[in-house]
Amino acid sequence: MPKRVLIADDSEFMRNLLREILADDFEIVGEAENGVEAVNLYEQERPDIVMMDIVMPIRSGIEATTEITQSDPNAKVIMCTSVGQEEKMKEAIKAGADGYITKPFQKPNVLEAINDVVPA
Amino acid sequence: MRLDIRELGQFNRLASNGAERAARSLSQLTGIDITVEVTDVSLVTDEVLAETFSGQEFVGVQVGLAGGLAGETILAFERSNANVLQSLLLDRSGADRSLAQSGVSELGNIMIGGFIDGWANHLGEAINMTPPTYLEAQGTRILPRETMRAAGDKGVFLFESRLEALNENLDFSIYMLPEYGEFVEMLSRSPTEPTIPANKLRAFDGLAKRGAHRAAEQIGMMTGIDTDVNVSQIRFVTLSDVPATVGNDRSVGVVFTLSGMPSGYLVILFDEASATTVAEAMMPGGMAEDGIGTLTEGAVKELGNIMTSGFIDGWANVLGTSIEHSPPNYIYDMSSSIMSPVVAKLGQRQEYAFVIDSTIQLDGRTGQCDIYALPDERELAKTLSALPTTAG
Repeated sequence: MPKRVLIADDSEFMRNLLREILADDFEIVGEAENGVEAVNLYEQERPDIVMMDIVMPIRSGIEATTEITQSDPNAKVIMCTSVGQEEKMKEAIKAGADGYITKPFQKPNVLEAINDVVPA
Repeated sequence: MRLDIRELGQFNRLASNGAERAARSLSQLTGIDITVEVTDVSLVTDEVLAETFSGQEFVGVQVGLAGGLAGETILAFERSNANVLQSLLLDRSGADRSLAQSGVSELGNIMIGGFIDGWANHLGEAINMTPPTYLEAQGTRILPRETMRAAGDKGVFLFESRLEALNENLDFSIYMLPEYGEFVEMLSRSPTEPTIPANKLRAFDGLAKRGAHRAAEQIGMMTGIDTDVNVSQIRFVTLSDVPATVGNDRSVGVVFTLSGMPSGYLVILFDEASATTVAEAMMPGGMAEDGIGTLTEGAVKELGNIMTSGFIDGWANVLGTSIEHSPPNYIYDMSSSIMSPVVAKLGQRQEYAFVIDSTIQLDGRTGQCDIYALPDERELAKTLSALPTTAG
């Protein structure tokens, strides 16, 4: 059974890119454009992994991660971010993120990050 | 508020690193090799912004910042460059054309992130970014209204990085404009000498502009050619980047050593055609030499002498100091090679330089002359600190 992935990114371009990267090896269970949608879709689908953008409208990726990991302490969240700021990463880890990748990313980096968090 | 020059230098270096990261991201997303030629920061007025952005259509990505640094930040591409990047981006990712705007927004977001990371880590504070907003506009309308207002009021800091694609005909600039008040506040948190009062820098900018206009008038008087000061601004740049800012085209140049307060150097560069034009105009009955020869040398040295006096006389009067200049040192070479010895000499004392950069347009844009003044930064700081608030 392929692992089930939820993609949360406000950029349609990045969602498309991630979908292309993951389509062969994973099942994409949903795509969210903001933090609120990400939390709702998580509750519905309970995916194995969430690929979560940090900067999103309505509710940020960090806020959404906090909410998801509070409701499900076993949730696995990988932050996908264009910012590599140390302070921002500390915030993400505090929110419960299990790993992060910095944009722009390529397939090997994405697969490696997922494998680190949810080994095959 | 007093600007810490070392801190301004540090932010310029971080911006330079940010531009490198942005270029790497761009290379990765588009599949073409892109390098950063130079990054500098200028204090610019609304007039300079209008000149910089005039007559062009831009595609921009605007990102709001909060936390360690607040304000609106914009990254702008000229439309033609944006089109090329957009095509490369979509081809590379296999994305549909309908994702073009989203792709450019994300590209801008990633590139701005590259800049902001270094600044945030330096500050030890997170800088929060809003989601990117895609923009298309003509000229300065690509800039936030607040940026233009601030530029007209106190000036704004403009970070410009010039990028070049190695195997494509693609040269472009990316512009970052952090909010003036926030940025100045950040540079003034715990100032160590040398420092420059922020408001005096704007006053000095006005002084430099008047110097450029006087130099332009001298060309007009000596040659009868109509002139106009096209751009005049104070840029803050890593000294080692100065030769790259002037490029590698061959120029006819004169270099003057300034002594007094502040000391430093003044370099006047004419492109070859303009040197010939002004020399011919200065010779009664026209000139009898092919190309750049001794007659051109004599004419440019003489003109340079007079322009330099015009340029710096106003400084000395307003600053209440005395500034002398050496006889002209004539050099006909690549612009970067003319500038390199000046950089080497200044580099013994400082790592960064305030470069007063003025472009004088000759007779309906048929040619141009560039004036670069590079004062000793410590002496400039000292002199500006003593400048009355009303000066400029």
